Amino acid sequence: MNFIEIKDVVKQYDGHLALDHVSMDVPEGIIYGLLGPNGAGKTSLIRIINMITKPDSGEVMLGGKPLQPEDVAQIGYLPEERGLYKKMKVGDHIVYLARLKGLDKATAKKRTYEWLKRFDLTQWENKKVEALSKGMQQKVQFIATVIHEPRLLIFDEPFSGFDPVNAEQLKQEILRLKEMGATILFSTHNMESVEAVCERITLINSARVVLEGRVDEIKQTHKKNLYEIEQVQCREPLPACENLYSIEKETGHSTLIRLNEGVASRDVITWLNEHVELAGFHELLPSMNEIFIETVKKLNK
Amino acid sequence: MKKLGLIIKREYLSIVAKKSFLVMTFLIPIVIVLCMLIPFLLTKMNNDSATEKQNVTIIDETGALAQAVKNTPLFDFVTLKGDDGKKTEAHEFYKKAGESIDAIVVIPANVLEKPEVTVYSENTVSPALLKHLEECLTDTLVGAKIQGYNVPELKKIIDDCDVELEVNSVKWDANGNENSSSTTAAMIFGMILSFITYMFVIMYGAMIMNSVIEEKTNRIVEVIVSSCTPFQLMMGKIIGVALVGLTQFALWVLIIGAVMGITGLSVGGVGTDGIGAILQAISSINITYILICFVIYFIGGYLLYASLFAGFGSAVDQASDASQFSTPIIMIMLIALYAGMACMENPNGSMALWCSIIPFTSPIVMMVRLPYGVPFAQLALSIVLLYGTAALMIWFSARIYRTGILLYGKKHSVKEIFKWLK
Repeated sequence: MNFIEIKDVVKQYDGHLALDHVSMDVPEGIIYGLLGPNGAGKTSLIRIINMITKPDSGEVMLGGKPLQPEDVAQIGYLPEERGLYKKMKVGDHIVYLARLKGLDKATAKKRTYEWLKRFDLTQWENKKVEALSKGMQQKVQFIATVIHEPRLLIFDEPFSGFDPVNAEQLKQEILRLKEMGATILFSTHNMESVEAVCERITLINSARVVLEGRVDEIKQTHKKNLYEIEQVQCREPLPACENLYSIEKETGHSTLIRLNEGVASRDVITWLNEHVELAGFHELLPSMNEIFIETVKKLNK
Repeated sequence: MKKLGLIIKREYLSIVAKKSFLVMTFLIPIVIVLCMLIPFLLTKMNNDSATEKQNVTIIDETGALAQAVKNTPLFDFVTLKGDDGKKTEAHEFYKKAGESIDAIVVIPANVLEKPEVTVYSENTVSPALLKHLEECLTDTLVGAKIQGYNVPELKKIIDDCDVELEVNSVKWDANGNENSSSTTAAMIFGMILSFITYMFVIMYGAMIMNSVIEEKTNRIVEVIVSSCTPFQLMMGKIIGVALVGLTQFALWVLIIGAVMGITGLSVGGVGTDGIGAILQAISSINITYILICFVIYFIGGYLLYASLFAGFGSAVDQASDASQFSTPIIMIMLIALYAGMACMENPNGSMALWCSIIPFTSPIVMMVRLPYGVPFAQLALSIVLLYGTAALMIWFSARIYRTGILLYGKKHSVKEIFKWLK
């Protein structure tokens, strides 16, 4: 079942088209990547899902029903441009944001304490936000995003500004939330993080959806029949076989070959086994980064 | 509604907990009271200081006038008779007396023909002494001169001719009954109310603007508006700041009252006569009626201007860029204040009439007109217009606000901002 259904959404700002008939379906309980270069329209779409702005036309359904103002309690949003009130105390700040999302005071306080404990921030509870380091402030922002246990979590460039240690901790938390049943929408142009966590993606470029589907399927359809071959005698050059493959690149210990159209990898392995002593044979799938760059470049031509 | 309450509470507490709020709240009334009391205190201190008492010797060549000069807490007078027919050598006398006297006053024998008295001293002669001598001697000299004409009852005739005109103002109500009103008190009262409105709106309007800009530069605003509507956030801010203002105002009244009470007692009743007179004068105006109107206009005017400050505040990224929008708003307020002052001269003139009906100036100008009485129809029209415009401005600002708070990194012209209204 699709948890979010975006149907034919159009949004225009002051003569500039930010979303041009965008449709997108996000199944429940997965991590979904919303990709695109800067200015493609990702943030505009996210703001529409968050009901910060209204679409000019089109519709957004949440759990099968059109979005209602009360639905904000079901959504947690960590914007790209995020901040906190510098003069507020850490504990009070989280409780305030939690209560704005509809939690009652007692629950908000209880969960704030639990989350601060989880992130090892309890000794900061009564300090002002401005006293925290940037990494700690980002943890506080994360807590505020998830504290009301929303069914839908939207992260806009969540890892920007995080150091590797904190980014890893954040990633683990996001995966844990997914295990607990939340649907996660992940907006980014950082492709490595997409490959690591997303099951499905939508790629937006210049206000339009240009690519959509499961990450593994997209990789399959974009593969270029590239294989990496390793030999036991690594100094020997790989013999050529024009019927089966062409050699793309030779490095010290491996060779990159491209299989000819219609040739099965099994046949190549058989042929190679007769000629050299194989140590490795891997298919090279394109990275999401390459697919992203390739797709966007092709469209911009 | 619950969210609005939360926002109001946060807005209120965030300002009230600031040190600057506490300092302003407690310092300003003390400064005001001190400014009011320092003149009284100084005068009193001056009169009390026994150590500075001066000895003054009067050499009276006429032998009759010096008794008119009475001792005061500041000056002790000793009278000597001058040598008959001989000009007094004041300096020689002074040298002989040494340091025991501070000044010598010489009243010459021909003072009636040529009214001149001289004070000699090694130090600068205090103005208080000159004033005291003038007061004491003038009447005596006038009396002596009048007597010199030998006309019976002349003094009485002259006193009788001394006319001081008093102009009273009497206002008729609808039934032609007389209502005596104190014009001066009405004027002052109205002016104070309009000045309070002006000060409050500018101070707290700027506070709202800064708070909006702060949220924007903090980048907190997008998190907040994903939980509530931009309109709730803006109204929460406006109402929260209004409550801060009311708290501060109430504290000021309390503190000023308390400090006045304490210092008033220690000063020993100085000024209480004056305050009593003012209170009496004010009570001749219909104070409840005016205060109710004040509250109505005050809220309307505050909403009108505060929403403008919030709307335009959302269009800038930094507090330093805010002046291009806040200056015009403050200019309108200033015009209203000057119009109010001008209307004091002629509270029923056509300028006063129009300025008290136009919504942008009416909260200030109407305060000046109210104590003189305003026809009900005009009052009703002006209030309806004010609240209508305030509602329109809130709508207008809310539309600017919801767009402005999410746009970063660019300066926006007024023309662009008007496009956001669509």
